[in-house]
Amino acid sequence: MKTPAFYLLLLITLGLLAWGTYQAIAVAPAEATMGDAQRIFYYHVPAATAASILFGVNFLASIWYLLKRSQQADALAVSAAEVGVVFFGVVLISGPIWARYAWGTFWVWDARLTTSLILWLLYVSYLVLRSSSEAGSTSVLAASLAIFAALDMPIVYMSNRWFRTNHPQPMIGTPNLNPEMQKVLLWNMLAFVLFSMLIAWFRYDLERTSQKINALHVKKASQGSMALTALAPAMLLLADDKLLREKAIQHHYMVAGYTAVWTIYIGYLLFLFAKLQRLKREGQEVGL
Amino acid sequence: MKLSVIQLTVANVRKDLRLEWRSRDVLNSMLFFALLVVVIFSFTFEPTAEESRRLAGGLIWTAFLFSTTMALNQSWARELRNGVLDAYRVAPAPAEALFFGKCLGNFLLVLLLECLMAPLFVLFYNLRSVGPYWQLIVVFLLGTWALVVNGTFFAAMSIRTRNRELMLPLLLLPISIPAVNHMVSATTKVLTGESSPVSDIKFLTAYCVIYTTVSFLLFETVLNAE
Amino acid sequence: MIAGLSDPTEGSVSIFGLKTRDALARIGYMAHAPLLYDEFSAMENLRFFGRLYGVTSDAPLQQAIKRVGLDPHLERRVGQYSQGMRQRLSLARAIFHSPQVLLLDEPFSNVDLDSAAQITRLLTEMRSSGATILLVTHQLGVLANSADEFLLLSSGALVERGAMPQASR
Repeated sequence: MKTPAFYLLLLITLGLLAWGTYQAIAVAPAEATMGDAQRIFYYHVPAATAASILFGVNFLASIWYLLKRSQQADALAVSAAEVGVVFFGVVLISGPIWARYAWGTFWVWDARLTTSLILWLLYVSYLVLRSSSEAGSTSVLAASLAIFAALDMPIVYMSNRWFRTNHPQPMIGTPNLNPEMQKVLLWNMLAFVLFSMLIAWFRYDLERTSQKINALHVKKASQGSMALTALAPAMLLLADDKLLREKAIQHHYMVAGYTAVWTIYIGYLLFLFAKLQRLKREGQEVGL
Repeated sequence: MKLSVIQLTVANVRKDLRLEWRSRDVLNSMLFFALLVVVIFSFTFEPTAEESRRLAGGLIWTAFLFSTTMALNQSWARELRNGVLDAYRVAPAPAEALFFGKCLGNFLLVLLLECLMAPLFVLFYNLRSVGPYWQLIVVFLLGTWALVVNGTFFAAMSIRTRNRELMLPLLLLPISIPAVNHMVSATTKVLTGESSPVSDIKFLTAYCVIYTTVSFLLFETVLNAE
Repeated sequence: MIAGLSDPTEGSVSIFGLKTRDALARIGYMAHAPLLYDEFSAMENLRFFGRLYGVTSDAPLQQAIKRVGLDPHLERRVGQYSQGMRQRLSLARAIFHSPQVLLLDEPFSNVDLDSAAQITRLLTEMRSSGATILLVTHQLGVLANSADEFLLLSSGALVERGAMPQASR
């Protein structure tokens, strides 16, 4: 698994994340009314994009599984769903942090937020189904549920379309968005989407390993996960440097946002690492 | 001489209704639960006629949503007892007949519940509809079918999980939220007479068509997931 | 797998040259569980299952019930039957459509000697009229003199095959 391609992607992602965060915190111009608190935009939107892509992958992988019953499709489906739920969790946590500052309240039941919450719940229920179903039936049931979930998304979206919304309207590519900000956003978009793919790839491998319990793969997997967890402290360190310059309360929100979000990412990576350890032990038990 | 899907569906419905009549456990628990909900709610709010018209939509559908969930689990549990579901699977009868039979059976049961509960709602909440009654009937038919068709499908999935009583609401509720939104909205609009529920009704119709089709297509896969 | 309840991980199953799903009408299946509704009587149960196989008249159903030694006019609910009666009715459910292949999973477990003897007699009759019968059991003794062929499985692998069991386990 841990081919040169993986390490190359790892390096590129690391670089982009560092570059993107630096740009987001230091380079991008401060927004007129919200200042630093607006910088959430630079990881909130990319995380949402990454999650949407992953959920799309889950949908396609589920269909592929139902047609061909391939183990790879199943592994891909669960990896995409799980990492998608994590990234979407980031969206649902960073959003309210920002909202508390911008609107004074953590949550409103407007169209986009409601839709997002339902989407997240659907995929969480997908993961719960996977973990509590009988061994032989898991993949088939989960794939069917994934199709239902994917169908529900346009339905939920359409059903709320004519309700008034508080959520900021799409701005990318419109003259409303400062071109400087747009550039920073796009760098971050690239960085986080690649980050999500990286984690999903890692998760996919864990799943395949778990499917095969092959000791050779397990050994190589341990090197990759070490590298990923190194990313996290790097990010925090970078944020800290800039801390000294800012005094406004807006920056508290920004820091809170970054802390919360990276706690989630680190937490998930630790969880994957623990899973890896367990697989190693199981692999040894089976005698491979 | 093979029977058609329709004849088999009817056979399934009759079997389910007859089984239910013999034991009456589903109907009893559904009724009791819905009654409890109505009574508890009427202790906590004491709405005027005007207010109750606004609230009733949400309360009614909450009560029915949870009652339906109870009915659905029980309905499949009956097939699992003594392994009867396997007997169905080894028979040459198509799975669609089983599915539609279950859906229709459940649908009729929940409709029965709604008919029994309606006078109680009117009584406790002083409810009288400002808008036309036929619209209410359409909303209830569509809404109930939306819940039942997805519910029957997910209940069939949940029977293969470890904690099936929990699994069904967990799976059903997120998917049903848009439908429930519109059911409640339509009911409120008709009761208060403030606006037309036609757009909600259109949405519910589309929802029913889409999900009935998907459930129909995927049921056999789910039934045979081993 | 032959009944189509599980899919094989490798290879395929075919009966009469067809995939299992297409041959179900000619297969009868009896499991360890009774596969019957407790709340119905014998005839009500069989009438329902009859419809699944396209059998709409009562005659073959009543005949099947008689062949297993039960009374077709019994109104008592199956839930109140004894274990032996339930197993026999389950067998009736498996044979009323005159299947050419009969699959039986532990038909003799928890069954009294009398019922067991009756079942064995019926199986022998069916074998004589040309049906193929596949039976899984832990009790070798019951069929020692009637079966044509034995397959002995241990830990999921085929260990022995022949006309009579060579070793006693």
